[in-house]
Amino acid sequence: MPVVTVLPENLAVEVEPGESLAQAAWRQGYHWPTTCWGEMECTVCAATVVAGEHAAEPATAEEEAAIAGRMPHFLRKPGTRLACRLRVLDDGLVVEKPGVRAPQ
Amino acid sequence: MPDNTATQASAQHNIPHAMSAPHRVPKERYYDREFFELEKTRLWPRTWQMACRLQEIPKPNDYVEYEICDQSILVVRQADHGIKAFFNVCPHRATQLAMGAGSFPGGQVTCPFHGWRWNANGTSSFIYGAEGFAPECLRDEDIALRECRVEVWGDAVWINMDANARPLAEQLQPAAGRLEDVAIGNWRVKWWQETILNANWKMAQEAFMEGWHVMRTHPQLTLGAGEASPAGSLRYDTYPNGHCSFEGGSLDTDFHSFDVMLASSQLLADGLDAMAIERDMRVLESVRHKIGPDDTIRAAVAREMRAYNEGAGIPMPAGIEQQSLWWNGMVFLFPNIFYLPMYGNSLAYRIRPYNDDPEWCRFEVWSLTTWPESYPEERAVLRGRFDKDDTDNWPLIPIQDFSNIERQQRGLHVQGYQGHRLAVDWEAGIENMHRELDKRLARA
Ligand code: FES
Ligand code: FES
Ligand SMILES: [Fe+2]
Repeated sequence: MPVVTVLPENLAVEVEPGESLAQAAWRQGYHWPTTCWGEMECTVCAATVVAGEHAAEPATAEEEAAIAGRMPHFLRKPGTRLACRLRVLDDGLVVEKPGVRAPQ
Repeated sequence: MPDNTATQASAQHNIPHAMSAPHRVPKERYYDREFFELEKTRLWPRTWQMACRLQEIPKPNDYVEYEICDQSILVVRQADHGIKAFFNVCPHRATQLAMGAGSFPGGQVTCPFHGWRWNANGTSSFIYGAEGFAPECLRDEDIALRECRVEVWGDAVWINMDANARPLAEQLQPAAGRLEDVAIGNWRVKWWQETILNANWKMAQEAFMEGWHVMRTHPQLTLGAGEASPAGSLRYDTYPNGHCSFEGGSLDTDFHSFDVMLASSQLLADGLDAMAIERDMRVLESVRHKIGPDDTIRAAVAREMRAYNEGAGIPMPAGIEQQSLWWNGMVFLFPNIFYLPMYGNSLAYRIRPYNDDPEWCRFEVWSLTTWPESYPEERAVLRGRFDKDDTDNWPLIPIQDFSNIERQQRGLHVQGYQGHRLAVDWEAGIENMHRELDKRLARA
């Protein structure tokens, strides 16, 4: 099962096939910021890919439209992805997402 | 004879357009607003109805919205794989919590308006802005999602909005047993799609309670016999609680010929992709050279089907070929579900009012089949909603049925129409359904 590294806490999150990064985190009891819980409405889940982009499935047109249409543009960076849509193919992906906390 | 309970009850409770004369159905039952409103208050909210197939919510946090008239229920798979159903409304300011089908990631049901949240088991997990409310507005028991009754039968989830309803098994008996005898619990979804029809829900479903319209509606199925094909070739039964059935063959009677059997199965496989499917055709074709001197065609078919299923790991309970429904037939479960089994497969229908309008309905069709035991449990999704005459997406047989249904609904309004007159021998199931409906409408 692919493992994603989440900075700055350096957490290793396992993601099942077919599951998004945020979904995997919630399932395992991590705190991952959101207000819509995976509806692609809040963009609060957004993370920045900093390395290993090859290990991520590319964003769909829907996800890109949600980032472009719903996310304040001063928060957008190259590499911004919605974690509730980010699917992982392989080990090696590193994302940055302040506010993610390990299960208590 | 008219059913005394229904007539008396209808006198007491004054149902409009009640069933009275034997074998006659008042036409207003299919379009009258007052009658439809009575169904909305006395039938649907107190009757068990199939809300979804288990396969629609295979994983924890998967949900399906079940709509019936102006009501909406969320059916949610729980972490322990159990199932709960909730009235789909936010206790704050009435927002509908979820629509269609999907899953609640992280097990959180969130209201899209002010962000209140619930766990998948209905308990409140977060009240945004709680500090701004008077405490008596936020009591736990008022804020938890309101549960609706749930039971599981026939690989499907059934709901009842009435907290005091009798158990599902009581409503479904004795017809449910007929389906258990053909292993309904093993059927899984091959495909599932729907259409919208300009007809009352009862008008639409009555088209499937008898088989004698085949001669004129589905002429291809008579294989050229035309008007010479007998109207009375099936056995019809009615049951208490509004259910009915019909069935054709059994192991003690044989097919007329091997070629006729093969040709009619091929028509189902090509024209419907249900009841008989490609897999069965390969087995049936192989039977031709395996009919022994003391065999009937049916005995050979049953034997070869069993051999094939055993090889493929497809469950086939011992003795199931003794059931005439295994060969083909129909079971209607009141108020609105049909199964048409054949060889470990089944066609199924669910018919609901649409858009809160007595003259429109939503008609769903499933092709069900028994998968090999090892087959993965894939989430079943609706293939789509297609126009009733869309030949790219509907097989010939349902297109033929749908076209009559809308013509009947228009006919109801034509001057001089006196209401349905039903065949005692072949259409008693329709009358039986209406009389059960009146019993329910008469209950205060
Ligand atoms: S969780 Fe809201 S957009 Fe991803
Ligand atoms: S209406 Fe649901 S939280 Fe306000
Ligand atoms: Fe038909």
